[in-house]
Amino acid sequence: MTPAVEFQSVSRHFGAVKAVDRVDLTIAEGSFFAMLGPSGSGKTTCLRLISGFEMPTSGAVRIFGEDMGTVPPNRRHVNTVFQDYALFPHMSVRENVAYGLMVKGVDRRSREARAEEMLALVKLDGFGGRRPAQLSGGQRQRVALARALVNEPRVLLLDEPLGALDLKLREAMQDELKSLQQRLGITFVFVTHDQGEALSMADRVAVFNEGRVAQVGTPEDIYERPATRFVADFVGSSNVLAPAVTEAFGGPRAWASLRPEAIRLAPGGRVRGTVTGARYLGAGTRLEVRTGALPRTPSDHHDGGIAVLVPAGAAVPGVGAEVALDWDAGALHLMGEEP
Amino acid sequence: MSGAAHPARGPGDRLTGLFWRRPKLLTALLLLPPLLWLGVVYIGSLVALLVQSFYSIDQFSGLVVPDFTLKTYAELLIPSNFDIIVRTVAMAAAVTLASVVLAFPVAYFAARYAKGRWKAVFYLGIMLPLWSSYLVKVYAWKLILAKEGIVTWAAEGIGAGNLLNAVLALPVIGGNSLSTSYIGTFLVFLYVWLPYMILPMQASLERVPTSMLEASADLGAGNWRTLRSVILPLALPGVIAGSIFTFSLTLGDYIIPQIVGSSRFFIGQAVYSLQGTAGNIPLAAAFAVVPIAIMLVYLTIARKMGAFDAL
Amino acid sequence: MHSDARPPLALTLAAIGGLLFLHMPIVLIFLYAFTTEDRSYQFPPPGLTTEWFAVAWNRADIWPPLYLSLRVAALSSGLALVLGTLCAAAMARARFFGRDTISLLVVLPIALPGIITGMSLRSAFAIGDIPFSTFTIVLGHATFCIVIVYNNAVARFRRLGASMLEASADLGANSFQTFRHVILPNLGSALLAGGMLAFALSFDEVIVTTFTAGQQSTLPIWMLNELVRPRQRPVTNVVAIVVFVATFLPILAAYYLTRGAEETAGGGK
Repeated sequence: MTPAVEFQSVSRHFGAVKAVDRVDLTIAEGSFFAMLGPSGSGKTTCLRLISGFEMPTSGAVRIFGEDMGTVPPNRRHVNTVFQDYALFPHMSVRENVAYGLMVKGVDRRSREARAEEMLALVKLDGFGGRRPAQLSGGQRQRVALARALVNEPRVLLLDEPLGALDLKLREAMQDELKSLQQRLGITFVFVTHDQGEALSMADRVAVFNEGRVAQVGTPEDIYERPATRFVADFVGSSNVLAPAVTEAFGGPRAWASLRPEAIRLAPGGRVRGTVTGARYLGAGTRLEVRTGALPRTPSDHHDGGIAVLVPAGAAVPGVGAEVALDWDAGALHLMGEEP
Repeated sequence: MSGAAHPARGPGDRLTGLFWRRPKLLTALLLLPPLLWLGVVYIGSLVALLVQSFYSIDQFSGLVVPDFTLKTYAELLIPSNFDIIVRTVAMAAAVTLASVVLAFPVAYFAARYAKGRWKAVFYLGIMLPLWSSYLVKVYAWKLILAKEGIVTWAAEGIGAGNLLNAVLALPVIGGNSLSTSYIGTFLVFLYVWLPYMILPMQASLERVPTSMLEASADLGAGNWRTLRSVILPLALPGVIAGSIFTFSLTLGDYIIPQIVGSSRFFIGQAVYSLQGTAGNIPLAAAFAVVPIAIMLVYLTIARKMGAFDAL
Repeated sequence: MHSDARPPLALTLAAIGGLLFLHMPIVLIFLYAFTTEDRSYQFPPPGLTTEWFAVAWNRADIWPPLYLSLRVAALSSGLALVLGTLCAAAMARARFFGRDTISLLVVLPIALPGIITGMSLRSAFAIGDIPFSTFTIVLGHATFCIVIVYNNAVARFRRLGASMLEASADLGANSFQTFRHVILPNLGSALLAGGMLAFALSFDEVIVTTFTAGQQSTLPIWMLNELVRPRQRPVTNVVAIVVFVATFLPILAAYYLTRGAEETAGGGK
């Protein structure tokens, strides 16, 4: 099957800045694909390369096998939900949604009927006559969604779609986007810096770092088997172990990651240490344990200590208590060096 | 479902594609008409001015001799012409200094204390006089300063008629009446250009954070000291920006001294009469270059003092 | 001193005094239009009358300059509208080499004293042997009006932001459709404001005009002649009121059109 989007050694340089640097990427049709990374990692530029607002300095972007090298944004069968929604303030909600049909020359009656259908799809029936300024943030986002979907795009691009919403709304929208994508069967590509969002919504995730793709895989792959220190560090809050530490923990002399929830408090465990801090998280308690014999790990997140997640309900040792840590043999995940 | 791209429909889409591939092309096309206009009409004219100023006039025939010469510029230095330049620059300096003093309370109040409705009142209150008809404003002052006008009436009403006469009897700046004296010219200049000083001053004062004033007060500085050592230095870029306007506008004006003032010329009047009745366009052009030269020097100094950040 | 502190009394008085100083003279123009004394500027007026409005209406020498001023202002602001908007659009598109030079070039005609613009054009007409006409007046006026439109349009383009234009393209609109359906409706009020300010500026302009008009007379030139050689003085006041209103109304309208936005109409004069 032809992939929906394909990057072939794509670079986008702004002067000396390599915003996107030799990226290869394949996004399968019908998938919900997340581009995850910190700001400045190149994920948004990649999205704009798909929509056509950026042109590759070198390499090729293909959509359904077709090279987009000479196709301007307005002719691409791709639509975008912008981060700031970019609704037209001088138009009603209905006119906003019908805009794409209007510029294609669809007559007023049918385009307004289609717009109403789309508004119903995003549960905004009856809001057609309002102005964008009269809507809440969440409603505006639905309008932006409807406005993009009315064009029946083959790929829908979402730039930080939930970034401007508050926490509760964000969770509701996550479910809604996910079910919408499954219902429509369209390829969704979304950009986010929130790893929780990427892992819970996407069925494939690309982690970006400094203009390059650090790892592509299922959320499980990314979470359980980070390919690089950067991925382990950025996705969740794993313990990143320097080669010497890995060795002391019974592994080979190599970089490794060890997830806090994979560690148990067990008398007679592999490593002993002292509890130096505890943070109650609701679903459990996160302990900082200093394993005295160990050299400092170089990661900023783990200040010489190991993070351990004690599930809710289990007994939590106090600060200063001596504990022993244990984990299953497969939990210590070895990683390659940074590419 | 169709393919990944819609076909191009008509020339609009094709041009859009072209603009997308070559973004600079569209920018250049947009810029072409205004640049052509400003380049040909304006820059062309400035060049023509410079060219004319290096021509000279034949004493006997009165015709322009289109040969390069510095003779015309040398004429600027003969005493009667040089006096005009000195007189104009002195007036511009006096007007600028006085407008700083007068503008400060208005600008400071508008920047710091005017809120909500009052902010709008101040904004319009400064903007409307700035924009309203220049000639009407000058005319209003002819009415005010006339010998039989409101100032004389008011002065006599409060028993200060003798004082007014005493002021008018002063050498150089006095005259037959206010409307035929340098004092009158000065007042009209001050009035007409004052908003040009208030606005940039207000803009730079608005950038002074209130916390900085509070810090100064906390450190035990009195109001006057805060004013002198904190507010005034911070307002300086605005003052310089405003002075660029008041200075240059005074240098180039010829209507105000013609309507309110003595019969002695300012640069603007010299330019106007030379190009008109006298038909000496080269000397008129050379005179017109003088304000440009003065302003270039002034701008160079102002730039060094960071005045352009306040514009 | 605190942010909510009340201003010192002396400052308040000085500020209000400053504002009054800016406004009081205009009031006199209105008063003198009703005086019965037409040979001097006697204050207080010996009597009041409304006859000068009728006299002014019937003076045949006022109408042609009024028509000429209206024609020049309409043509100049129209030209400035097109040129200023194009320039603002180009500047909004991208950073490019020479941006600062271009913005300086746009501001220069109004930043330099009018006499220089006027004398420059006069020199050019002399060199090019171009006879004076309505066109030569418009040439000067449009040049210094461009910046007014430009300033208004640039501020609005900045507020419009890139993402709205991108959204339009993303939804399938080509550049021309984006211009018509997104840019123009959003720019409309700013352009109207800029156009009106340009109209007011041109209608009232006298310095540059005296160099580019030759024997023609615009309303301000007519007024200038009356100021130098007065005939029926209150008639001049009636015309002054007309000129004042013709510039005042567009300015007020422009203020309300752009109010609430970051931009300030007329900040660039």
